[in-house]
Amino acid sequence: MATGDTSLWLHNKLGSTDDLWSGKTICSQLSQEKLQSTVACFHTLQPHVKVKLLFSFLHIPRRNVEQWKSDLEDLLMMAIHDTDQWVSMTGEILRTYPATGMLNLDLEDNSTFADVLADLKKIAIKKSTDFTVLPMECQYLNKTALLTITGQQPQPLKHFALKRKPKSAALRAELLQKSSEAASSKKNN
Amino acid sequence: IKLISDSGYQGEITSVSTACHQIEVFSRVLRTSITSMLEGGEEIMEKNLPEFTKMVCHGEHTYLYSQVLMHILSQEPKGGSNIRRLCQELQKSASARGLDVTPITLALSRAAAYPRACQALSAMLSRAALNPADISVLYKMYLEMNPPPVELIRVPAFLDLLVESLFKPGFKINPEHKSKYVYVLSYAASVTEIYKKSVRKNINKDELKPTVQALEKVQALCGQNKNSSELIADVNTLFLNIKFPVIAYGVLKWVDYTVSDASYFKLNPDTTPLHLVLIDEIVTNHLLLHQKALDLFTRLFESSFEELDVLVRLELKKTVLDRMVHLFSRGCVIPVVGYIRRCFVKQETDISLIRHFVMEILDVIAPPYTPEFIQMFLPLIENKDITGSMKSDDGSNPVSEFLSHCKSDGMVS
Repeated sequence: MATGDTSLWLHNKLGSTDDLWSGKTICSQLSQEKLQSTVACFHTLQPHVKVKLLFSFLHIPRRNVEQWKSDLEDLLMMAIHDTDQWVSMTGEILRTYPATGMLNLDLEDNSTFADVLADLKKIAIKKSTDFTVLPMECQYLNKTALLTITGQQPQPLKHFALKRKPKSAALRAELLQKSSEAASSKKNN
Repeated sequence: IKLISDSGYQGEITSVSTACHQIEVFSRVLRTSITSMLEGGEEIMEKNLPEFTKMVCHGEHTYLYSQVLMHILSQEPKGGSNIRRLCQELQKSASARGLDVTPITLALSRAAAYPRACQALSAMLSRAALNPADISVLYKMYLEMNPPPVELIRVPAFLDLLVESLFKPGFKINPEHKSKYVYVLSYAASVTEIYKKSVRKNINKDELKPTVQALEKVQALCGQNKNSSELIADVNTLFLNIKFPVIAYGVLKWVDYTVSDASYFKLNPDTTPLHLVLIDEIVTNHLLLHQKALDLFTRLFESSFEELDVLVRLELKKTVLDRMVHLFSRGCVIPVVGYIRRCFVKQETDISLIRHFVMEILDVIAPPYTPEFIQMFLPLIENKDITGSMKSDDGSNPVSEFLSHCKSDGMVS
């Protein structure tokens, strides 16, 4: 496919700035040949088209990623050296994706990223004791499994003393009584 | 814009597309938002989340960048769990906006090292629906001697789909495959692993079998579509097995579906239907499910129940309030009182209901009180419309007792 055709095709498919999540729409039409001609025209693309093109990689079936690894990596290298910061950052994060299926988390060479990360790390550590919201999966876990993840959690603050149990206690006892009766009469029948 | 940002006024940059244009500006706005959520606690997190999601989900690149940043922070042993929760809330609200974030979620997890499991999970998470073939893949992998890390299947959205399939009334799983669903869910809930320098040294499956057995038993009971009187004999079994958090979670979901059926309260006129007592038991056993229980109670409390007679409706709402009092007595204090306070301020709730709540609370509490609690509760006590006519059966006056206690504490003049 001619370079110009690929460039036009990408522009038509990914040129809109209204939807910045549309990278995946080109996945089914990607091929090795198309990727190779994209390498040739990459520098001519608009930054947001480049970014969306890179995101299509995340939606390509794994076997194709493995097959096209070197072409995908060529494109990522070009992205990393791009002058647009979003293009180069996206390229940097996806750098390891074709080879490992995982994202590159070693980004501290980028000063903007490293600064924000360092600041937030300080705040997160400072706030670690007085604000503990647990990860969502904790609601499902048996006590032992929970302990291995979160360690011993502080007891909730006692806001008052309980002088008597609420009405719910009597209801519970009554229901259990009824349940035992029902169970034994079921057995007898 | 960069100048505004350079001068430190991130909070002023409100237009999403402006903030997202330059990576430097975006990073600073992101830092400001995350910081305010970390400093403000759970309530602020909930309040700010929609605005935060809107900004982060501007594009797939802003979402990826934010999740990568937060993922690295979530690995910190100190404070990491707060951030992990934020990552998950963000994932959830991004999915709710119809965005396909599964590839990013999985690429950030350790799933990629297990391509077969990764593929199965990815297929189910992207479609937000389970299927027997992919569940069978996971089931087989987790039966093997050297299974993938348990962390892989501890994805909240996946666990939620499993519980939904097993506990949603009327949801039919092919009986041939049901035990696999039960196994995978029990495995995620019960197995622990010990790692040393990122190498797995031990897998402890001691609690797997009891969890599977209990889950099977309760799932079968809930799946039989029995009505309250038919279920009475099984209450003991339910109470016993509700001690497993994963089962409590499932039963809570099942009760939620059951009582949300328009005809439920018409067909179950008892003062306190059995299903609601089951929630009391869940609340007693599981601190981490308090918020979910409160969400259900508030939804019930705000339902119109138009098909019921006015007086029956009022009695039913009192029953729901009694459940909130139980929740309150079990430690969910500020959220419960805060909710009733909001009901009172909005003036849409019958004052007799607020009075009922306040009376039940005064009936069970005694000093010492925390200032936070007094501050939250006092406006309800001081309001004459609520407590003006309140007297206890034994002639004592709990309102003035509470007030005089606050006076001696210097909380009221």
